[in-house]
Amino acid sequence: MSIECLVLGAGQDVGKSCVVATIGGRRVMFDCGVHLFCRGRSSYPEFDRILAASGATDFTAAISCVVITHSHLDHIGALPYFTEVCGYHGPIYMTYPTKALAPMMLEDYRKVMVDQQWEEGQYSYEDILRCLKKVIPLDLKQTIQVDKDLVIRAYYAGHVLGAAMIYAKVGDAAMVYTGDYNMTPDRHLGAAQIDRLKLDLLITESTYAKTTRDSRRAREREFLQAVHKCVSGGGKVLIPLFAVGRAQELCMLLDDYWERMNWKIPIYFSAGLTIQSNTYYKMLIGWTSQKIKDNYRAHNPFDFKHVRHFERSFINNPGPCVLFATPGMISNSGGFSFEVFKKWAPSEKNLVTLPGYCGPGSIGHKLMSGKSTRIEVDKDTHIDVRCQIHQLAFSPHTDSKGIMDLIEFLSPKHVILVHGEKPLMAFLKERVESELGMPCYYPANNESVSIPATKNLKMSATERFITSCASEQTEDNLRKQKLICGSNMSEANTDRKLAEGILLMEKNKAVKILCEDELVQVLGMERHLVQNEPMVSSRTGAAGE
Amino acid sequence: MGDPHLLSSAHPAAAASSFARKHPGPIDERFSDPSPHITKRPRVAADTAATGGSAPYPEAEVRSLVMMAGGIYPLARAEALRGLAAVLGKVDAYRCFVAGIVECCYGCAVELMRDEDEGVRLAVVGLLGLCAQKFAARWDVDAKSDGDIMDLIFQQLSSMARDMCTKVRIEAFGALGKMQRVSEGVLLQLLSKKVIKTDTMSGTIIKGQKLPPKLKIPCAAGIFAHGIEDEFYQVRTAACTSLGALAKFSSQYAEKALDLLMDMMNDDTETVRLQTLQALFHMATYGYLSMQEKHMHMFLGLLVDANALIRNAARKILGLVNLPKLQMFKSAIDCLIASLEKNPEEQDIYGILFSIGKNHGSFSANIAKHLAKEIATASDGELILDRPRVKALMIVSISAPFSDDKHKKLDIPSIIFSHAISLLGKVSCALGEEVNQDSLLSYLCHKGGMPLWGNRSVSAEFGESESCKVETVEVGEQIENTAKATKCLDRVLVMQSVESILQTVEGAWTMRMSCDVCEARTILRTCKEELKVLAENSSGSIGAFLSFLCEYLDAIRLVVELWQLIQLDNSYTVGLTAPDILLEKLNISVRRMECCYAGLNRGLEVQVMELSLLANLLGLSNIGACSKAVLSKLVWVINRLEGLCADGSCELSDFSREIKKTFEADHIGNALIRNIHTSVELFRLKPTTDFGALKAISAVFQVCDNNSENPLSYICGLPVGVSFNISLWNISSNNRLWLHMSIGESVQHTFLEFSSFEGDGEVKSGSMVVPLNTTPMAHSFVLRVCLIMECYGGISSNQERHGGPSDCVVQLSDELDVYFVSTGQR
Repeated sequence: MSIECLVLGAGQDVGKSCVVATIGGRRVMFDCGVHLFCRGRSSYPEFDRILAASGATDFTAAISCVVITHSHLDHIGALPYFTEVCGYHGPIYMTYPTKALAPMMLEDYRKVMVDQQWEEGQYSYEDILRCLKKVIPLDLKQTIQVDKDLVIRAYYAGHVLGAAMIYAKVGDAAMVYTGDYNMTPDRHLGAAQIDRLKLDLLITESTYAKTTRDSRRAREREFLQAVHKCVSGGGKVLIPLFAVGRAQELCMLLDDYWERMNWKIPIYFSAGLTIQSNTYYKMLIGWTSQKIKDNYRAHNPFDFKHVRHFERSFINNPGPCVLFATPGMISNSGGFSFEVFKKWAPSEKNLVTLPGYCGPGSIGHKLMSGKSTRIEVDKDTHIDVRCQIHQLAFSPHTDSKGIMDLIEFLSPKHVILVHGEKPLMAFLKERVESELGMPCYYPANNESVSIPATKNLKMSATERFITSCASEQTEDNLRKQKLICGSNMSEANTDRKLAEGILLMEKNKAVKILCEDELVQVLGMERHLVQNEPMVSSRTGAAGE
Repeated sequence: MGDPHLLSSAHPAAAASSFARKHPGPIDERFSDPSPHITKRPRVAADTAATGGSAPYPEAEVRSLVMMAGGIYPLARAEALRGLAAVLGKVDAYRCFVAGIVECCYGCAVELMRDEDEGVRLAVVGLLGLCAQKFAARWDVDAKSDGDIMDLIFQQLSSMARDMCTKVRIEAFGALGKMQRVSEGVLLQLLSKKVIKTDTMSGTIIKGQKLPPKLKIPCAAGIFAHGIEDEFYQVRTAACTSLGALAKFSSQYAEKALDLLMDMMNDDTETVRLQTLQALFHMATYGYLSMQEKHMHMFLGLLVDANALIRNAARKILGLVNLPKLQMFKSAIDCLIASLEKNPEEQDIYGILFSIGKNHGSFSANIAKHLAKEIATASDGELILDRPRVKALMIVSISAPFSDDKHKKLDIPSIIFSHAISLLGKVSCALGEEVNQDSLLSYLCHKGGMPLWGNRSVSAEFGESESCKVETVEVGEQIENTAKATKCLDRVLVMQSVESILQTVEGAWTMRMSCDVCEARTILRTCKEELKVLAENSSGSIGAFLSFLCEYLDAIRLVVELWQLIQLDNSYTVGLTAPDILLEKLNISVRRMECCYAGLNRGLEVQVMELSLLANLLGLSNIGACSKAVLSKLVWVINRLEGLCADGSCELSDFSREIKKTFEADHIGNALIRNIHTSVELFRLKPTTDFGALKAISAVFQVCDNNSENPLSYICGLPVGVSFNISLWNISSNNRLWLHMSIGESVQHTFLEFSSFEGDGEVKSGSMVVPLNTTPMAHSFVLRVCLIMECYGGISSNQERHGGPSDCVVQLSDELDVYFVSTGQR
């Protein structure tokens, strides 16, 4: 038996996560995301390869189930396309919060598709609704029997509200697909939490395959210092962010700080998007960190005291303020964060924070990589960037130490890295193989990896065999009894006994283990004796005495 | 084991159930159901083992438990590990590694370290921690054993602190904090997630290890960085505690740990912040807290925190910490004053101001100078002493002379002292209760250049003995601060104080030579009081040692007093005179030291024996003639001393050698009496501070439902039963205990049969009914009862026992009054 892993997306890349794993004939699709820097069909995983690999004619027959780990677009964006356009009608699993956040995220993306006027691959608002109707919600640590053999279970992954790691098992072969996860808790989400499982395969993300971060507390302090400096100097702070997750985290941090400082400077949330997700957070308290769970009876931490709604007309208002705006990477192509950036970047009083990860090609990436002061928007316009840049080191992804810790904790037989950049993945692969001694792979998109899986065989043992084992052990113990007092204990750990027997595997019969003497009887043969006449006389002489 | 054959008969469950008998717990039910013949018989084995204290052959237990730990049921595995821990905890260190039990347990723990079940992992952490303790104990005995294993365990524990299970993490951090030995490299690695590549580090781990060190490190690295940002505040709290506790091993580590701890002050949970402050306090008491300028901002913020608990904790730390710069010192003082102005009810700030001032003598002298100028320039009425600021500065100023750096002459303007007189109440409050107000007042007057206060002699109080006084004040201060803060005193700190007290005592002993007996006596008394304070706040063997020292100081004081009497009055009087009483007291005191402490090590025993020798010598000189009993006791003591010093581990002191010589020359002892002066001059105090596993033998007992309002009833002339509840501490089966019951002159002794008492080696307790054989023909009477113990070591002069104990006894408990009233009278 083996596990076949077809990586359709996020192989040596970040974006359009999609892995199809075949375990004992059951095909499970983990995640179904889009690539945010591509347009049209190319932003989706190449689903046709599944049909090619399986030989089936439609997706419903080829795939047992689809499991979505969390609500980020690079993990869920292609789902309506897959179900409504490609025509997959099988079960879809995701956690409750993911299901709740998904329509918002997908609708946001659909608008981008419409804005960019994709020629193909679009889906409609109705598609989103129809698709999500089919979703079966999952709870943490709930074991779901998808069909006769396939079992899946979700574990808490941190990262974003509702993120989960998925455990899948067919027979004795088991694997975990981590999705994105975070091993260190932050102000609103807990750390990833999973049981120690017997695994054949672990597919883990590797966004920060080479980075080791220092303590979160130092980062918090730095961020607050930067904001403090800018705001007290009368500047404006632009915090471009992905909608869900970081916004809440930073908002809690700032709200707390404002409270301590007793400031009246406004904090704005741009579109309705983040406000809306705040409402989700308020509802889904059970998925947040321990501290919030403990405290929310007294005060819901997502009821921010200092946060206000932002109107477009505020852009030119004087005086200091803090603004959260989407999208996170400030992309050339548009988005509200870009609009504000154009206005605020030229003033050196202002501050722009950059998220931990910016995709290549985005303005964020340019600001991060070089000290570029001039950004060409198109042929005619450019922006002079004079404002302060602060790079946020808050990341919902675990660092390389966290990845190693998780791998070490789970100790799977094989590791596959996805969701990362190729050179970094190569580096991490080396570490995993040398330090943990596990074979590690990082296939590119559309490549597939096959690994052997565990299969436990039930076998019976004859009575005689068991008796002989037991009597052997008793003899051994009797021998040892004399030594038991005052003997050296160091060998007590290596006390395990080996038993000798013959394993008999016959067609259409249960596997059996038997004693040497029984074999002849079972096979119904006569016993033959082969005798050797020793030729070296001097040796036999010695042995005979 | 009574029946080794049974235990090894291929039934691990048999051994386990025998184990379960001794440790009633959940395991009991699970394993008592297999076939009846195996459950019944081990009970016998277990009982024989239980009566003999610890199991004589733990190897068998360990072997079977290790076997069970490899079982398939997680609950059983966990229970087996806990069982191993229990066995390991009972076995003494020496036996442990002779038989390799520690290695065996350790191996078993390591094997299950990555177990699938969190309960098992939890038990592994406990066992690993215990193994580490045992390995550390071996190190103490045998310095040759290598420390690599400690480092390895340390890393293994750290990797457990990265577990997914919260309980395991909490436990692991707790165990890390209890580690007693670890190399610096490993320690520093705990603070940084990035693997530090140093020579010392890789060197210690690679050596002798087949597995590359990398295998262990990746998870263990930066475990504290993870711990302090954990999701659960319990884990963060545990991490903070350990972070502080480990600071005693390395100053470089302490410095880095401080950075982490300071970041913790931003934590959103109050418990964690308080624990962080506690950890800092711990570091400060060990002297490993070096506050830097970058920390000051955060720290001073805590002094004016909205939360009173936090303010209080931060202040305590400030009272112990050393500030390297005058600027920092001044800002700290300013902040304290601000806090005082904000919260005028917090009067303990004055105490803190005093200790800060004392810790930074030259800085406070600087403050004093400025204050003196201010006082001088202020016109009348302008400088209001009531203002907290002036009060505070005043306290800081007068603390300077008490500072440690005495080599520097700190001249504090006398004007400060004269002004300080009006703040007498505050000052004495700040000093604690060690110094009484009168003497303080006279001191201030003296320093302030004022005429002498009253008719007290200033010189007597603060003249010659000033240094001595100040020393005790200092110790007292320190003790009180910590005692208040921690409830239970830190061992290291206690030992520091004990050492300084003992130095004072030695000083007092030499002072006796210079005939200043009164003063020596006062110092001894004060020292004893201080030891008592310490003893009340300590427990275990250190508590026992402290009470032993109290006893010792008592004896010394008695010797001093007795010696003075003997010197004053050489004419021998008949009858019970003061020297007789003192001598009896001294003898009792020595006897208590001999008998009431189990596990006296050689050093302590020599110390006691010498004192006993001295007491007997004084006894001889008091009687004037040589009584046979005293002489025979003298011989016994000398022989015992010789025996103790026979193997050369300690040397016979000049004093004992001299006496031995004199005694050998003249067996009647006249020469001894003649030479008594020279002999006593030779006696030197040399108290040791090494006390090993000292245990105090003691007893507490009570009579149920009895007091003067609620007496027991009896019928005149008939026996009556009295029921006692008795708890015994550290009593072994060899001790012979008696109940001493007296009604007026008549005494009845009843032997105490305590073999049926329940309890472990430390505490045994039980209740029994003791018959009082004859009751007086009276309406009511009071029975006085106490527990006494026979001293088996001494020589009994009284050969007839009358069925009672030998006359060489010590009293173990306080006397208890039992009230009786005749039935007719009720």
